[in-house]
Amino acid sequence: MAKSLPGIAAIFEEEHKVVEAARKSRDLGMTKFDAISPYPIHGMEEACGIKRSAIPYITFGAALVGLSVGLFITWYTSVVDWPINVGGKPLFSLPAFIPIMFELTVLFAALSSVAALFYLTGIPRVNPPVIDPDLTSHKFAIFVPENEVGYDVQKLESFYKGLGATEVKKVAEY
Amino acid sequence: MANHGHHHLEVKAFTTPSTLKVLIIALIGVGLLSFGLGQYLNSERAWTSYLVSFFYFSCLGLGGLFFSAIQHITKAGWSSSVRRYAEAMTSFIPFILIGGLVLLAGAKSIFPWTHEDVIKSSALIEAKTAYLNVPFLGIRILVFALGWFAFKWFIVGNSLAQDKTGDEKLTLKNVGLSIAFILFFAITFTLFSMDMLMSLLPTWYSTIFGIYCFAGLFQSTFAVLSLIIIFMRRSGFVKGYVNVEHQHDIVKFMKGFTVFWAYIAFSQFMLIWYANIPEETEYYIMRSQNGWLVISMVLLIFRFIVPFIALLPRGLKRNDNHVIMISILILAMQYLDIYWMVYPNFNEGNVTFGFVEIGVFLGFLGLFLLALTTFFTKFSLVPLKDPRLHEAIDHHVTY
Repeated sequence: MAKSLPGIAAIFEEEHKVVEAARKSRDLGMTKFDAISPYPIHGMEEACGIKRSAIPYITFGAALVGLSVGLFITWYTSVVDWPINVGGKPLFSLPAFIPIMFELTVLFAALSSVAALFYLTGIPRVNPPVIDPDLTSHKFAIFVPENEVGYDVQKLESFYKGLGATEVKKVAEY
Repeated sequence: MANHGHHHLEVKAFTTPSTLKVLIIALIGVGLLSFGLGQYLNSERAWTSYLVSFFYFSCLGLGGLFFSAIQHITKAGWSSSVRRYAEAMTSFIPFILIGGLVLLAGAKSIFPWTHEDVIKSSALIEAKTAYLNVPFLGIRILVFALGWFAFKWFIVGNSLAQDKTGDEKLTLKNVGLSIAFILFFAITFTLFSMDMLMSLLPTWYSTIFGIYCFAGLFQSTFAVLSLIIIFMRRSGFVKGYVNVEHQHDIVKFMKGFTVFWAYIAFSQFMLIWYANIPEETEYYIMRSQNGWLVISMVLLIFRFIVPFIALLPRGLKRNDNHVIMISILILAMQYLDIYWMVYPNFNEGNVTFGFVEIGVFLGFLGLFLLALTTFFTKFSLVPLKDPRLHEAIDHHVTY
């Protein structure tokens, strides 16, 4: 997704047509195309055949790492490196460590999720190519990169025109 | 959304299955028998088991009203169909009034501050007698229970009236009423939990106690809501209006309040453990001896760790059998939690559990099911004229 490739873009002016076009593209066996819309469209993930994001697993893994790091830091500082008797409590007092373990769990999980989101979606993209300025206000598009399964400009043009595309144009690099 | 609207919608009139009818009568019978026999064998134990079950089901009744109020205040659309199930839970609220008045009869067996010698034994307790006395407790129970009943009467009443008239103004009216209820509930439920549970050890205090009880209340409310959702779908009474998407969100809430319970429970524990002041640590010392430590650990593991991990994966929140299992586990833990708050104060601090506790609980369960089924039989299972119902029908949990 993050890679820039040339391809073609089919422009649509109606929401239900672009969802339909996405669904038909998926039915053709295409896997690399993308739908562009000025706002989130209900049911679009399913129409494009987008699988669930990997982010929850990254979050969970990072949370476990944070929890362990929290336990390690508290244990190392208060038992090994600088033992201090606090109120006669044992040096290894889990209740006192839990807030730190909890905070580090949340911190690691949150920062990793955001980092993973940036990485997986390829943002920030400075100065991306403009397919059509209206895609940020009232038009929709299906973008097909040239490495798509069965990529054929003529065929795709008539295919999307048949589905109600108002325009199909070549995009240098998206 | 227009292209997504092919749902099969159906709602039937609810009739209580005859086996359930028999079961409800049997449960209430068992409850009465156990309580009667308990009175004969050991009156104090009968009353303490009554207190645990009374508090347990009072929480569920109030939880239903609290959930409804939150939906009204946030003007939630997705939950407008599920809200009817929560409204059904509120039909237990009249029993809080009756049950609370019955409880007064056993005040001498339950509350140590009713005894002259206990009051005289400690200056701390003596100083609290202006608040801790039976007449004032009676007044409080009356004010709380009547107040809750009044709010239930208006908030749920408006929702049911809308079924007939379709008047959209009723939805707006419920916003203000719900805000008033939540303020009233915050104060009265805190005092109610202090009266019912905290005053069992009148020298002890914890300022977070009301929230602790509320955390358990809300977690177990979602467990009951999940069970009702699955029951209604499986038995085919409601189709489309309440589906797996609503279940998913209710179970998300259940997971959220599982964490909330642990957060509050730990906050209460850690501050007391850290400060190490004798009046405060007494409570946890009682719960770390005579076998109570095992129960304290069971609560930690089965009220927080197990449900939390079991409710993390998306697929499992949408899996009926899994949700049924975890909901029942949470409901069992809610009982254990209240039991854990009450019982260490009695029977010389030993763990005591037997047919009296089970029987009285089953009796209250029968009453609760009677309240639910009566409500469902009388009213529509879906608020068909709710102005936000279309949002619930189109509700879709994205990933």
